[in-house]
Amino acid sequence: MMWGHERWRRRVALLAYGALDEVERAATEVHLRSCAACARERDELARLRALIDGPALPAPPVALETLEARVLARLAAPDPAPPRAWASRPWVRLGAPLAAAAAVAVATFLMLGGRAGAPTAPASPEAAALAAAETDAGPGGEEVLRRMERLLAREQAARYLNEAQDVLVTVTAGPSPCPKGLARVEVEDEARRRSRALLARRASLGGPADVASAEPVLAEVEQMLREVADLPSCVRPGRLQALQREVGRRRLLMKIDLMTRELQG
Amino acid sequence: MLRLAEGDQHALSELMRRHSPRLYRVAVGYLRDAEEAMEAVQEAFVKAYRSAARWDRSAQVVPWLTRIVINESIDRYRRTRRRRALEEPLDEGDAHDGRWAEGAPSPERKVLGRELREHIDSAVGSLPDRQRAIFVLRHYEGMELNEIAGALGMRLGTVKSGLHRAVYRLRELLGPVAR
Repeated sequence: MMWGHERWRRRVALLAYGALDEVERAATEVHLRSCAACARERDELARLRALIDGPALPAPPVALETLEARVLARLAAPDPAPPRAWASRPWVRLGAPLAAAAAVAVATFLMLGGRAGAPTAPASPEAAALAAAETDAGPGGEEVLRRMERLLAREQAARYLNEAQDVLVTVTAGPSPCPKGLARVEVEDEARRRSRALLARRASLGGPADVASAEPVLAEVEQMLREVADLPSCVRPGRLQALQREVGRRRLLMKIDLMTRELQG
Repeated sequence: MLRLAEGDQHALSELMRRHSPRLYRVAVGYLRDAEEAMEAVQEAFVKAYRSAARWDRSAQVVPWLTRIVINESIDRYRRTRRRRALEEPLDEGDAHDGRWAEGAPSPERKVLGRELREHIDSAVGSLPDRQRAIFVLRHYEGMELNEIAGALGMRLGTVKSGLHRAVYRLRELLGPVAR
C-alpha cells in the first residue's frame, strides 16, 4: 500500500503545481476527500508555493539598452576562447570517428584534384576551415590529419573529464532524503546512468600517445565513477560522505580542472 | 528569426526587446543572482545570434531561446560550483560539511524579508540542475509541462517526475518555514 500512497503523493505535488491533466486531477481530488494525510500535503504544498512566491526575484541590474549594447559589443569582439568554441561545434560533438571521416573526405577531395573539378561548396564552414588549413600547410595531408586526430582526442578527453567532474560533484552535493526509507539519501538515477555511460566511453578515448599525460587522472576518475555506478538508489549518508572524502583526499576535482586546461591547450 | 539568420543585428535588437525580460526571469530564477543572470541572458543572445543560421524554421522561437538561456545558466552554475569545490577542498576526515549538516530550520524560526529570500535561494540552489530548470520554468514562468519538455529536450514523464521531486525536496527544506 506504501507504493500506492507514494503515487498519490506524486500526484498531489503535481496538483499543487497545476500540472495534472483533467482526468488525473479529478481522480486525485476524489482521493483527497478520503485521505487526510494527502489533503494536509496539498495544503502544505500550497503554502510552500505561496512562500516561494513571496519575496520578489532581484530586478535586472542594468537597463535593456545596456544589455543590447553589451551583446553587440560581444558580437563585435573576437571570441576570447577558441578551444571552447571549437568544442561547441556540432561536428566535434559527433565524436572523433565522424570528425575524422569528415577530415579524410576533405583531404581526399583535395588530393584527388578536387580543385580542378566543379566548384563544389564545402559541406560546412568547418569543412571549409579544414580545407583552408590543408591549403596553408601545403601537401602534407597526412600530417594535417594526424594533428586533427590528436586535437580531437585531447578535446574528447577534456570533455570526458569535465562531464565526470560534474557527475562527482552532483552525486555528493546536497543529496535529497530517500523517499523509500528513513535515514537514507537518494542517489539520482541520472548520476548513476551518466557514470555508466562515461565508463563505457572510457575505452574510446584517443590513442595513448594523444592523451598520455591524462592517463593517471583518467584512471582515478574511472575508479570513482565505478563507485558511483555501483551505488543503489538509496544509501546511508555515510556512504556518500565517504565517497566525497575520497574525492577530496585525492584532490580529484582540482586535478581534473588542471588536466582539462592542459588538454585544451 | 529569418532576418536574424541572415545576420541582421536590428532583428537581434528586436528579439532582445521582446524576450529579454522573460529570459532574465528564467535565468534569475535559476541562478538566484542578478548579475550572473544578466550575463547568462547576454551570452544567450550572443549564442542565439551566432547559431541563428542553423535555426530549424519549423521550431518555435520561445522554446529555442529558453533552452539556450537554461543551458547557459546551468553551465554558469556548474562553473561556480566547481570553482567553490576547488577553492574549498575537503581534508581527510572532514566529515562536517554544510551541505550535509544543514537541515531545515527549526519550526520556531521566523525568517522574513532578505533572510527568507536567502533561504529560498539556498533551497532552490540545492536542487539538481535539471530539476531546478523544470521547477523554475513551471513556478516562475508557468510553462506547461509539454512546453518544458520541448524546451529542455526531455520526455514528458521525466519532466513530471523532475517537478514532483523538486517540489518534495523544497518541501523538506522549506516546509517548517511555510507552516
